[in-house]
This record gives sequence, structure tokens and C-alpha cells, in this order.
Amino acid sequence: MDTLIQAFVFPGLLYILLWTVGLFWFFRKFMAKLHKRVGPHYNGPAGTYQTLFDFSKLLTKESITPHGVNPYLFSMMPLLALITAMLPAAFIPWTEDYPVVVTSYGLLALVVLIGIEPFLLFLTGFGSENKYSFLGGIRVLAQSISMETAFLLSALSPALLFGTMNLTEIVEQSTWLSFLILFPGFVVYFIALLGLLEQPPFNIPDAEQEIVYGFYTEYSGTNYFLLKMAAFAEFMAVFGTATTLFLGGHYGIFFDGYIFFFVKMLMVAIVMMTIRAATPRITLKQMLSFSWRYLVPISLLNVAWVMVAKVFFFGSI
Amino acid sequence: MQKIKDILKEFSTEYIEDYKKIWIKSKLTTSDSLLSVAKALKEEGLRSLSTVSPTDFPDTDTIEMNYFFEDLQTKRNLWLKCDIPREIEKCEIASLTPLFASANWHEREAFSMFGVRFLNHPDLRPIIASEDFKGKAPFRRDFDWDAHEKDTMIHMKMIVDAFKEEQENNEINLDADSSEMVLNWGPTHPASGPIRLRIHTDGEEIISVDPDIGYVWRALEHLVTKKDFIGAIVAVERLCFMDNINSMVGYSMAVEEIAGTEITPFAKWMRVLLGEVARVSSHVMGLGGFFNNLGLHTLFMWNMDMREFFLDFLESYSGARIATAAIEPGGVRYGLDMTMFDELQKAIEKFDEGIDEVYTIFVQNPTMKMRAKQVGQLSADDIEDFGLSGIVARGSGVKTDIRMDEPYAAYDEVDMEYITQKDGTSYDRFVMLFEELKQSVNIIRQAKKHIEDGVASGAFNPTKDHMVKVPKKLPKGEAISRVEWARGEVLMHLVTQEKSSKPYRLKLRAPSFNHTMMLDHLLKDKTLSDVPLVFGSLYICQGDLDR
Amino acid sequence: MLKILDFFNYAQSESLWMAHFCTGCCSLEMAAAMGPRYDWERYGYLPTPTPRQADVLMITGLVSKKILPALLRTYAQMPEPKYVVALGACSFDGGPYNDSLSVIKNPTEILPADVFIAGCPPKPEAIIEGLEQIKQKIKNKIPSAASQGGLWKEMDF
Repeated sequence: MDTLIQAFVFPGLLYILLWTVGLFWFFRKFMAKLHKRVGPHYNGPAGTYQTLFDFSKLLTKESITPHGVNPYLFSMMPLLALITAMLPAAFIPWTEDYPVVVTSYGLLALVVLIGIEPFLLFLTGFGSENKYSFLGGIRVLAQSISMETAFLLSALSPALLFGTMNLTEIVEQSTWLSFLILFPGFVVYFIALLGLLEQPPFNIPDAEQEIVYGFYTEYSGTNYFLLKMAAFAEFMAVFGTATTLFLGGHYGIFFDGYIFFFVKMLMVAIVMMTIRAATPRITLKQMLSFSWRYLVPISLLNVAWVMVAKVFFFGSI
Repeated sequence: MQKIKDILKEFSTEYIEDYKKIWIKSKLTTSDSLLSVAKALKEEGLRSLSTVSPTDFPDTDTIEMNYFFEDLQTKRNLWLKCDIPREIEKCEIASLTPLFASANWHEREAFSMFGVRFLNHPDLRPIIASEDFKGKAPFRRDFDWDAHEKDTMIHMKMIVDAFKEEQENNEINLDADSSEMVLNWGPTHPASGPIRLRIHTDGEEIISVDPDIGYVWRALEHLVTKKDFIGAIVAVERLCFMDNINSMVGYSMAVEEIAGTEITPFAKWMRVLLGEVARVSSHVMGLGGFFNNLGLHTLFMWNMDMREFFLDFLESYSGARIATAAIEPGGVRYGLDMTMFDELQKAIEKFDEGIDEVYTIFVQNPTMKMRAKQVGQLSADDIEDFGLSGIVARGSGVKTDIRMDEPYAAYDEVDMEYITQKDGTSYDRFVMLFEELKQSVNIIRQAKKHIEDGVASGAFNPTKDHMVKVPKKLPKGEAISRVEWARGEVLMHLVTQEKSSKPYRLKLRAPSFNHTMMLDHLLKDKTLSDVPLVFGSLYICQGDLDR
Repeated sequence: MLKILDFFNYAQSESLWMAHFCTGCCSLEMAAAMGPRYDWERYGYLPTPTPRQADVLMITGLVSKKILPALLRTYAQMPEPKYVVALGACSFDGGPYNDSLSVIKNPTEILPADVFIAGCPPKPEAIIEGLEQIKQKIKNKIPSAASQGGLWKEMDF
């Protein structure tokens, strides 16, 4: 019974559905404010039903499989991408009673699962038989390869500091001091996160003005819904990892609880949206040179800094 | 000026005469000497060819070719004519493309509209006109449009077949082992609008760009000949809706010149005022569109907010937000109620409020600078060779602005200066747009103050002075007028017949045509990411590209 | 069961996404309708970059002969159920370009539109009102006009 609830309610399907609907609404409303607009307004209080309607509509629309594609590859990939994007939720310690899967290598599992996602997206683009989709797929691959190095190195810095890969232990051991020590790592993590999630200025793979919609181009109806949900589940995984590793998880000011975890994830989302509203896209070449020239060396330096700080503040390796 | 006349005197000409202040008008007796005349003129400094405009005269069995040469440095211009025979087989003339790069597309246009063949043209394919007009000359006077119209369904099939054939053949000739491919950028594309760029790419690297235009071809030049002189402004205004006032000003000036009408000072100032309001509403969209193409929609939204207030003024004045039809031969269409200026004041206040924010957040945006400074570079030589104008020309440091070169309306009394940038990159063109926006609002302030003062002192009567009567039938004649449009120079060449109530021929030279020609030049060896950036920075409107 | 279907029908009507395709000048006013003053996102309209995810195709003004195949192809690429909105005078009878050589005078005979929005160009308020009528049409379960007839079915594009 517990397993069923975990799989379908929290932190499983229903939770991710609610998160997708809620976060999409929040993104639209927040962007609208920055655009001096109102955003969704008339459907439900402050337009909260709007995204629910949007996703329900996508479920009832025709799902077109274009002529000439491999139908299995084309229809399987969105589902696979969604499942892969949902799995990290099982490893994140939402409150004291979680994670669902108790393991001492939780961090490794998260990093690997987040790292697989871009390859699935590449396959969606590859399977679409569309030049724009294919270019989008190639761009996802190029971007994830160059961003994941920095992502991995910065995500490992808490493990180095606390000497464990067990996420529950990392959360328990985090203090204000460790937050300060890990702050450079958090900044690098955040930048790499923008790259992994294809958010501006790194929204190169689905650059509308260049390659239509990248790997999304040929997807419609339910398949598009699955891909979109996979993207939002990926948001959750990456934000959740950031909260766990750097921001102290569910620990709060007066009491501890899931609400603090959620607020911290939302704060990361708000910073991301603000950057989205003020930064144009950069080119693929610039992204590559930025990543390999600056971000990866800085993340290496960050590892060194964490080790030095560990010796200096905690007095042992 | 004298030097140009001396050069022309060496060849056999029918006449050489002064026209307006900075023009010379001349006609060659034979079309054979055109190439040598053009060569001598180019050496003298007339380096830009503005446009090529054929006029069809079935009565005398000739097609009169009009060439408009410009010297952007010293502001000397030449209007050169020559006759060629009208029969399709003999209808030939030497191509000027080897000398003037800008002639390329203009000659292709003349070829597809009038069937004039240009000898030694490197790439004489039809342009703009759709597939069903291939081999026909739709703009000739004797073209039977009604007969052509009967077969619309067959023509549709021709267009579809031609497109399919092209798609099938697209990649046959490419090397199978390479990663080369052909991308159709448009017309169903989030950033393109109705234009199609055939982009040959090798992965992300661009090999060449071949624009396919004509998706919004409305044959405006042909359409005006079916309307009377007042009705024609409906067509002229739809050159491009982003800045429609200035194109109407240009057309009205040409009609007034033939009719010999002088409009009132009040109407002149109103033309300045309305023209600048339209320019502002176009430029704010241009600024927003530039950032839209970089994937950032915030500026576009903010600018749309600002633009609404300027449109409010146009709406209160003419009753329409965009399709105002507010300028007509003889002045401006409506009288002015001074309370309308309250709307304008609101718009100016809104502008002042928001413009600093736009500067700090967007014009100085480091990411945008990093991208835009690297691509789209045009040298001053390119500008002159390709006959570019407007912000594109001034962005490369060429001082050309019709409002000051050849002042029309009340621009001779307006206090303004050339705004230029040095490098000519995409970034410079973006800054040009921003600076000109401020300049335009400054001019609006001047015009507003001048009109208010004039009304207060009794010099202007805002309800009566706006129109002078222009006769419905004009004498035989021809005129050209140039205006500084939001996108650059618009040249209108109007020909009328004796006691005719319709224009006989109107040539619209629109700046986006030349700017689109540059895409291949600018995008070669760049990456796919630069396409929308360069396209946006050239400030192209498909409306005046196709006409 | 009926209730659930009704909910999905309601959801369909309240979430209309536009294909990003402009054939003429009316797209300017479409941009204005997206802008801060009119903001059609309040009603749930959203432009999408590809026709594959769109519900509504806007014929924005004139349709020239050259762009008609692209228009029909875009329509064919959209998933069912799909609706067509005709903006401006040009999409009804050619409008100011009725005498023109290259403009199709009766685009909505070829691709029938569910709603006509008058004006040259129509004001943003009018565009939003027209889209509201599409919502009503979906709520009343009236099939789209283009699925009922039109020359586009006979044309090979």
C-alpha cells in the first residue's frame, strides 16, 4: 500500500502532475508580470485553472505520427523521457521520512538520472524525421555534454565536504557555515542547471527563432503533453537536488517541514525566471566556449576550495 | 553637378536638364551607350543605383527605362532614361549588375514584371512574381488580367508543383557523404514572417542563403493604376503598415508636383508630426522584434505598451489605429481638434517614463552586445554598392537621410542632425534604431510646439488649413519623390497621362528589397544562430519587400 | 462518463493555441492583441511555434497565390480538432486588394473559416471577441467549418 501511494501520489505521479500544472501556471503568471501583462486571468481564481485546461486539452487532441518516422521510436521516447525524469523524485529526501529509496549513494543516482535525460531528448529529435528536430537533438547533446561536467563537479562538492553520498546525511549535516562554503559551488550548479534545463541564456536546443521548436517540433497531443511533463519533472528533479545539496532541504527557521523544501525550490525557480525575462539567447559556439573555458575550470577550482575549506574549518579530510 | 552634365554631354542625349534641387534629368537617345555612361558616372562618384523602373508605352511601341543614380556622399542624383523596343524578342538592354551590385534584384524585378531582358545579368531568374506569371509580363498595359484570372486553379497547381519539384531536387545534387542540407527558413516559422530563406547548411554552418520572396506580393504598382488619384493612397498606404504615413506623404508629394499644388504650412507640419508618430510606432516594434529574434520577449511587450499610446493619437486623429489614410494629395485629410494633442502628450510622457529603463536593461545588455557585435558587419562601401539606406546605411557611418538631404514637408525648419554609428554591425543598427527613436520623439515635440504656437498666434487655422484642392484630373507629366521612411529611402516615380484620372504608372522603390539582398553576403560562413539576429537587425518588412 | 467528456470539451474551448503563421498585415494587430494593453493570454490564448500543437489557424489578412499552399499545408499539419479564424476584409473578399493580380479573392471558399473578424485591420478587441466566439462554438459542440467542406479537400498541396 505504501509503495502504491509513493508511486502514484507522493512523490509519484499525482505529485508531479500537480507540480507541472502549478509550476506552468506560476511561470506564465510570473513572466506576464515582468512583461507588464496580466497573464492567465479569467479561468478560475487568478487563472489557476488555465494550465489544467491546457494540459487536459492536449490529452484529448489528435496525436499525429508523421509519415516516414519509426512509430515505435517516435511514440516511446516521450514516455521514456517522462519516466526517467520522474525517477529522481524517489531519491530526494523531501522530509525526514523520505527518500523512498534509502541508499547511501543517493547523490550518484540523482546525478546519473538527470544526466540520462538529454540523451532521450536527443533520440526524440532524431526519431522525428525533421531537419529542425534533428538539429535540436544535436544541440541538446552538445549542450548537455559540455554542461554536465560542471554540473557533476559542483553537485559533488557537498559530498566532498561532508564525506558522504547519502542525501539524508548531507541534509542533516548542513549548517550556515556549510552553506557559505558551498555557495560558489551553488552558483556553478545554478549556471549548469540553466544549461541542462535549456533555459535562457542557454535555451539553444529549442530556440524558436532559429530551429522552430527543436526536438518538440513534430510532437502533438498526448506525446507533446508527456514531453512537456517530462520537462517539468526534470525541473523538479534539478531544483530538488539543489535544495537538498546546498540549501538545507526541509530545514526551516522555526520548524522543519516540506513547506520549506517547496519554498526553497520556488526561490530557485524565481531566480531562473527572472534571468529568463532579461537575458537573450547565446549561440551554440558561445555556449561551448563559455562552458569549457570558464565554467569547467571554475568548477574544478571550486572542488579545490571545498577541500581547503574542509581542512580549515573541519580540520580533517 | 556640372561634372555630371559634362559627362552626359559626351554621349548623345535628347536633353539634359536640372530637376528639383539636387537632381539632373536626362535621356539617352540610344540604349547602347548605357553601359559606358554608367561606367563614367560611377567613376565620377554616383556609386549607388537606387532602382530600375520601366514604363510601358504601347502607343509609341517603346518601353522607357528609368535609372536613378545616387551619390550618397555629395548628394548629387541623376535620373537617366532611355527607350528600348517593346516587342518581347527585342526587349533587351545591357545589365548594370557588373557595375552596380544593387541592380541585381531590381533588374530581376523588371524582368519578371515587364519582360525586359538584361544582357549579361549573372542570375536572371524571375523574382517576386509567382509561378503562374512565368514568361508573362503582368505589369505591361496590354496584359489581359481577366483572362489570366480564369485559370486560377490551374495556376495554383503550377505553384504547388513547382514547389514540390524544388523540394525533391533540393538535396539530390548535394554530396551524399557530407552533412550538407537545405533548410527552408519560413514561411511557417516563428521568426520569419512571409518570406522563405533557402539556407544551405553544413550542420550549423551556413554555406549560402537564397531568399525566396513574393509571399505577400499584392502587385501594388499595378493596383494603383486601377484606382483614381485619391483611391490610390489605399494601395500606397499598404506598402507596409508599420509606417504607413510616410509612404502616403511620398505619393501625395508626387501628385502635388504634377498638379502644381502648393500645400499650406499647417499641412506640412501635420505631415511631419504624423510621419514621426508613425516612425516611432514602427521603430518600437523594430526594437522589440530585434530582441524577439534573440529569444527575449520582454522588450517587445514593453514596447507594445508604449506603442499603444502613439496609436491612440493616430486613432483620435483619423479614427483608425493603423490604416489611417490620413495623408492625401493636397494636405492632410482631417482638420485638427487641439484636444487631440492631449493624447499625444500622454504618449510622449509614457515614452519619457520608459525609455531610460529600455536603455539600461536592453541597449546595454552584455549578452546582446556579445552576440550582435560579431555579426552582420557592413562597410560603407557595401552601403554604396548595394544602395542601402535608412538605419542600415547610417549604422555604417554613411550620412544619408532624405529628411535633410532633400527636405520635404516642413523638415527644412526642423532642428535635427544626422545620427550615425561607426562599425555597421548588427549592434550598431540596433543602437541606431534606439537613437532615432529619441530623435523622432524630439521632432514630434518640435512639431507639436510649432503647431500649438501657430494656432495660438492665428497663423494656422487647424480646421480649415489642412487641405488644398487638387484637381481630379491631372495633366500629362511625371515626377519622382523621395521620403525617409522608417526603413530607409522610398522613391516613388509617378507617370500620368493627359487628363487622366488614374495614375499611369507608379514605381515604388522600397528599402527592404535592397536589404534582403544583403542576407547572403552577411550570413555566409556564419552559423544558424545568426540568421534571426541578422534578419532582425536589417529591419526588413515583408510588406515593402514584395509590394 | 458524460461529465468527464464535458470537462474535456470545456478544457478544449478554454485553451486555444494559435499557429504562428502570418500571411498579411493583420498579424500586426495580432501582435498588439498579445501586448500588455489587450493581453489575450488573460483568456487563455497562447501562440505556439509549430502548427503541430496549435488549435486555431489565423488567416491574417490577404492570401496571395504563392502563400496559399503553405497555408493549406500548415492547416493540414495541425491536429484535430482545429478551427480557422479569418481576419480582416482581405480574407473575406480580397478587401482593398480585390483588383490585384496576385491575391486570392475568396480564400475562405478554399479554407472555410469559423469566424470572420471585420476590419482592415481588425482592432485587437475585435480579434479577442472573435476568438471568444470560437470558444462558444466548441462549447456548443459545433464542428469546425473547414471539416464540413471547402475546396481545400480537393486540392493537392
